[in-house]
Amino acid sequence: MQERSGNALPDDLPQALSVEGTHGPVIHAVNRMAQMAGVTTGARVADMRALCPELRVDHADCDGDRAALERLALWARRWCPWTVAEGGTDGDCGLILDTTGSDHLWGGEAEMLAQMEADLSMLGLSSRLALAPTWGAAWALARFGPVRAICSDTACLPVAALRLDGETVLLLNRLGLRTVGQLADLPRLSLARRFARAAPTRTPLTRLDQMSGHLPEPVSPPEAPPVFRADARLAEPIFDPTHHLPDLCAALCDQLARTHQGARRLRLTVYRTDGEVSRIEAACALPSRDPAHLAFLFRDRLEKIDPGFGFDLISVEAPVTEALGTQQADLAGRTDAGLELSQLVDRLTARFGRNVLIQLQPAASHIPERAEARVAPLTEAPVIRPVQAERPQRLLDHPEEVHVLYAVPEGPPAQFQWRRRSYRVARYQGPERIAPEWWHDKPGTRLRDYFKIEDEAGHRFWLYREGLQGDGRGGIPRWFLHGVFD
Amino acid sequence: MPDSDNRRIRKTLTGDFPPNPRADYVELGVTTPFSFLRGASEASDLVATAHSLGYDALGVADLNTMAGVVRLHAEAAKASLRPVIGCRLRLVTGEEFLAYPRDRAGYGRLCSLLTKGKRHDTSDHWQAKGACDITLADLAAHADGVQLIVLPDDSLTARLPELTRRLPTLRHIAASYLYHGDDRARINRLDRLARAHGLSILATNDVHYHAAERRPLQDVMTCIREKTTIHKAGFLLEPNAERHLKSPAEMVLLFADWPHAIRATREVADACAFSLTELAYHYPMETVPPGETPQSQLEKLTWEGAAARYPQGLSGKVHGLLVKELEIIGLKKIPQYFLTIHEIVLWARAQGILCQGRGSAANSAVCFVLGITSVDPAEQELLFERFISLDRDEPPDIDVDFEHERREEVIQHIYAKYGRHRAGLCATVIHYRPRSAIREVGKAMGLSEDVTSALAKTVWGSWGTSMGEANSREAGVDLTDPLMARTIKLAEQMIGMPRHLGQHVGGFILTEGALHDTVPIGNAAMPDRSFIEWDKDDIDELGILKVDILALGMLTCIRKCFDILRRQYGVTHDLASIPQDDKDTYDMLCKGDSIGVFQVESRAQMNMLPRLKPRKFYDLVVEVAIVRPGPIQGDMVHPYLRRRSGIEPEDYPSPAAPHDPDELRAILGRTYGVPIFQEQAMKIAMVAARFSSAEANQLRRAMATFRSRGTIGRLENLMVGRMIERGYDPDFAKRCFDQIKGFGDYGFPESHAVSFALLVYVSSWLKCHYPAAFACALLNSQPMGFYAPAQIVRDAREHGVDLREVDVNFSEWDNTLEPSGNSFALRLGLRQIEGMSPVAAGRLIRARDEPFTRLSDLATRAGLNGRTIHALAAADAFRSMGLDRRAALWEAKALRDAPDLPLFRSGQDEGDEPAAHLPQMPLCEQVVADYQTLRLSLKAHPMAFLRASMARQGFARATDLEGVPNNRRVRLAGLVLVRQRPGSAKGVCFITLEDETGVANLVVWPKVMTAFRKVIMTARLMQVAGRLQRDTASGVTHIVVESLQDRSDVLLRLSDRSLAPPLSRADEVRHPIPAPTLGHPRNMRIIPGSRDFH
Repeated sequence: MQERSGNALPDDLPQALSVEGTHGPVIHAVNRMAQMAGVTTGARVADMRALCPELRVDHADCDGDRAALERLALWARRWCPWTVAEGGTDGDCGLILDTTGSDHLWGGEAEMLAQMEADLSMLGLSSRLALAPTWGAAWALARFGPVRAICSDTACLPVAALRLDGETVLLLNRLGLRTVGQLADLPRLSLARRFARAAPTRTPLTRLDQMSGHLPEPVSPPEAPPVFRADARLAEPIFDPTHHLPDLCAALCDQLARTHQGARRLRLTVYRTDGEVSRIEAACALPSRDPAHLAFLFRDRLEKIDPGFGFDLISVEAPVTEALGTQQADLAGRTDAGLELSQLVDRLTARFGRNVLIQLQPAASHIPERAEARVAPLTEAPVIRPVQAERPQRLLDHPEEVHVLYAVPEGPPAQFQWRRRSYRVARYQGPERIAPEWWHDKPGTRLRDYFKIEDEAGHRFWLYREGLQGDGRGGIPRWFLHGVFD
Repeated sequence: MPDSDNRRIRKTLTGDFPPNPRADYVELGVTTPFSFLRGASEASDLVATAHSLGYDALGVADLNTMAGVVRLHAEAAKASLRPVIGCRLRLVTGEEFLAYPRDRAGYGRLCSLLTKGKRHDTSDHWQAKGACDITLADLAAHADGVQLIVLPDDSLTARLPELTRRLPTLRHIAASYLYHGDDRARINRLDRLARAHGLSILATNDVHYHAAERRPLQDVMTCIREKTTIHKAGFLLEPNAERHLKSPAEMVLLFADWPHAIRATREVADACAFSLTELAYHYPMETVPPGETPQSQLEKLTWEGAAARYPQGLSGKVHGLLVKELEIIGLKKIPQYFLTIHEIVLWARAQGILCQGRGSAANSAVCFVLGITSVDPAEQELLFERFISLDRDEPPDIDVDFEHERREEVIQHIYAKYGRHRAGLCATVIHYRPRSAIREVGKAMGLSEDVTSALAKTVWGSWGTSMGEANSREAGVDLTDPLMARTIKLAEQMIGMPRHLGQHVGGFILTEGALHDTVPIGNAAMPDRSFIEWDKDDIDELGILKVDILALGMLTCIRKCFDILRRQYGVTHDLASIPQDDKDTYDMLCKGDSIGVFQVESRAQMNMLPRLKPRKFYDLVVEVAIVRPGPIQGDMVHPYLRRRSGIEPEDYPSPAAPHDPDELRAILGRTYGVPIFQEQAMKIAMVAARFSSAEANQLRRAMATFRSRGTIGRLENLMVGRMIERGYDPDFAKRCFDQIKGFGDYGFPESHAVSFALLVYVSSWLKCHYPAAFACALLNSQPMGFYAPAQIVRDAREHGVDLREVDVNFSEWDNTLEPSGNSFALRLGLRQIEGMSPVAAGRLIRARDEPFTRLSDLATRAGLNGRTIHALAAADAFRSMGLDRRAALWEAKALRDAPDLPLFRSGQDEGDEPAAHLPQMPLCEQVVADYQTLRLSLKAHPMAFLRASMARQGFARATDLEGVPNNRRVRLAGLVLVRQRPGSAKGVCFITLEDETGVANLVVWPKVMTAFRKVIMTARLMQVAGRLQRDTASGVTHIVVESLQDRSDVLLRLSDRSLAPPLSRADEVRHPIPAPTLGHPRNMRIIPGSRDFH
């Protein structure tokens, strides 16, 4: 069961993850409490809720689980170089490690398994481990064998341990073939005639051979993703790493260029002689491998590190990268203007912090002050059909109350006073009625009637009356000036 | 049943609405909820608001549909408003129009236009359900007599010249003052544009809801429609709440500068002379031969039928009835209705399809002699007034049940005979129910799935029409949270809104002319089905007659049983020829031995049978009607039983002195002074409470559909008050009314109970005298009824039927009877095998000219694929070849699926096969595999394998219970057959367990239920401890449960694969009870009541 960072619930509440089935959501995984309450995987969520009303259900993130398992496979390379994540998205997955020749490094097979279990539990993972000469046997022992089995006998395991699909297992059971041993005792010819032409999950013979090692099933581990990192090891401790930065960045960018990658995140780590480690992180709005730009992102920030007795190792890493092709300056020899903007954004962000730089974006709301949103710079704008009606170029942060003379309470103003000046209304358009966002605003919020006003001097204003006379939401409606048309 | 709101209340207007004076303005752009997820106010709200605002007429224009017009028409009539019928058309190219027909012909064209768009898409293919594709050319072809008003959009200026040229009836451009800021400028622009093209603008407020307070609901509907949430919807929502119904005065004020726009609305509305009441309805004339009038033809057929029904001659009573009925039918001008149904019934009989009328039609002697119904007026008291009455201006309702497997033939016959343009199924409006409402509203409000589920509660949740506060607290939801409170309030408003249209189970409309002239016809999701846009209530409202072609599983079973009797026993029977008053049959029923029998097979009925001890046909009528919420809620059951068994004297409540003390004796004499049937309750109201026929009619309507709680309360005060006033015991008066309220949910009118009792008797007689044939027919008619095949088979065995296994050399597709000594044995058919197709079975049977001896022989001769052979082998169907299940599976797996080419025929590539030694399959595993493949086992009961150890532990067997004294503590264990928690039992749960000796009935009180909820919901094998309770009079026993334990694990011991014993079809955990649908219970396809109540 995958745990999401931040919102993991305590283990003593029944929880389950669901995926969409053909007839509504079905249970994908359960925790121990839910299992004890009788919640089974594959059952419909509605049925299980009836059974266990306090069950918490969340959507399963199968792709995320898969990715996490693959990361775990890489993490497991601390024990041996050949590790793969196996299994599909059906929840029955695991790790296969080819530890041939590695176990003595850990003090023997038993010690290695114990170490693995301990290390995995440090990550918050419970595990079932087994060690066997073949992939098939290890798979079977881990699921059906004793705890931390090492090369145990597989003959007494149930046929389900052969990695067969449910239908085949049912058939074998109906045939009275319950254990791997019983199956292996049958004449090969009989088995071959019955199960030869099918997928491996339906052919017990293939699975038997894989388990016994008659059919090779090598572990072919995927290559580990490249690590982009440049180090400067110093003979003598120094106090200011600034001079090493350009070289380190250049080295990093060389590495990035070789694989056509650009850095999105950067991490500079300095190791003090007394063992203290300090880190500075920076980010790029667009992938970049421009050494000067990357170095610039750390400028002035290095000084904030307390040097203590000096540094003897400095490293620059790019933990997150994105593909970045070779770029060519345009025909006039200039670089892309967009790139310059993004680099400016990077520098400003690196210098002043993440929340300083914002970008305004249209937002879908009829309420004028909510019609724009503040987002991180260079965020792609959503496609929003703007409001049909004209909006003033300048909107006051806070609408300012004005004193108004009018002919009829529902009508436009005849004259109003704003910032101690009087304006006579020459022409008007409106009202444009904007009701409160009932799901958002406090109950009792009044609607607004906006008027476009032109005074005798040709100044144009945007006024609104808050509420209607007798709408039961307060006294006499008040007037506000909300914006100015240029 | 708790004061039940489990039926949707169709909101309707009550009260006085004096007509309004003529207003200057008529609102024409009105959208009702039938523009699904657009309009947020129901017709009743719109009409009531319009009336109070001073309108004298109100338009209705739903998007590409006429589905909502009848409701508006009906409500408007109540409020003395003139409904202006029209619709809003949206073309495939995006233009929108309001379309208002001037007259009947224009209305017909508009309906045809909608039908065209709904039946076929633009390239003339079968249209998808719910879509409507109309092109400008279609509109131009159908626009004659239809006033069109174009709704402006950005492209109007460019498109208008073409539109005016092609649509001569387009005279107006709609203009709305919706406070968008530029209204004046925009309307002026439209005005100029209209003038330039010789048109006029027409004012409309484009109404989507009756009052501004409904804006939140409309916003939520928009979110549901656009599949977004309220926080993300943004500009999809309207900026303000102005699209509500505004008073004519306010509209005149808004359009003060354009008085002609206001005048135009009046002109358009006044030009619409059409009213839905004009939809003169003509029945098909095919049934009337030349030279006859419909009435003379009906009379001819009636007297012919009467002569056939009564060969010994008509009694004076029946003759009188027939003459009277024919006269009323003539006055009502509906003889063709009877002729049409007579034709359908005659056709079905000719095809050998069993059918029988049910419901109020059984009150008609004409229907009896025409062969439509089976209730003999000579023997039963019929109440023709319940069927047709001159006082009531509403059409009679004839429902006919057909065999459920062959109903489709009848439907296709009707389509073929009358044509799809003249015959159509009714619609059923699917409304938002609490669960769907809270789910969808919650989603639109951005609540998580968890929270909405908690609110909606899953199995055994509430079926109420309102999301009460108690419900939410029970679900652990914080009502003080404003978001939650708002969501619940909106969901409450949403409950009862129409959601989409579905097809009615079998209600047919037949017309003489083209049906699509009367109402648009759309396609159903089912292939080859098309249905009209109006539902049953709408049709009733307009007085259109419909025929209900319903399906009844028991008729299939009875017909199949008759077939077997004719074929095997050489006895010919039909529904009418079964010997009456058969002692053995009643003896059997008195014992409660009724598994498989129609209606009385449920646990409650089985418990009632030994108490009621039916001895004659009328007892069965009572039996059918008494185990219903109506009599139970009215506390009529026990008095009836006591009086029947003579413990209590018959007693007729009587009024005080001046009135006739025996006035109720005539009504209640048949049922020992206890009102059991709907008719009796009605008559009590009329006689004891002096209800006028109009009041009685209101009461009858209230009973039928529970339309309005206000009405019911008023009627209650009226009836109880008057009865007390006339000197009746207040308690009795209250009980009578409670029973009427109960009928609001499920009550049986007597005629209906009689029709059903007939089938009860026929099926009981068959079960009693031909148990093998009856079980065989039951199995062949599955799925139907209350029990799973395993229980039917077991019951047959207990009745001495010899049962035989499925076998490739003996079995047919169906279960069959084969001679065995001087009687018959029941041979299970291939249809019982899971994964077997009728086609493969047919090939197998055709190839079986000599016995199959080898698997390969079977495969080649019958041409079966490996999958089918595997299914047969898994079902252990090769015993006659000397192969048991395991050997057959082993052999079957070795067969090649590929075609057998001559070159490879001889010998195997791999050489001869060495013998494989498979272990013997133990019996318990065989039984498990039987259950997995056949859902029953003839070899043994799973509990039998556990008996030895159970007996050691002191568990009783089901049969042992007979000897246990009352109130003794017992322990027993068994497979779970049925779990039920009927609404009327106040949370008590009933469970039936089965072991190898019989069944045991458990009663679980709510407190125990809460404590053992998980066990009850999941256990397949249950171990219980409790006290035995025995009803001394009837000998009915049950166990009041004290504790329960899930012992499904012991099933694992039988086999590695867990055994899933088949649950009864009535089990409510696996199959939650569907919510009762709107309408009278007699319109249900399969009477749900017996499941509902125990």
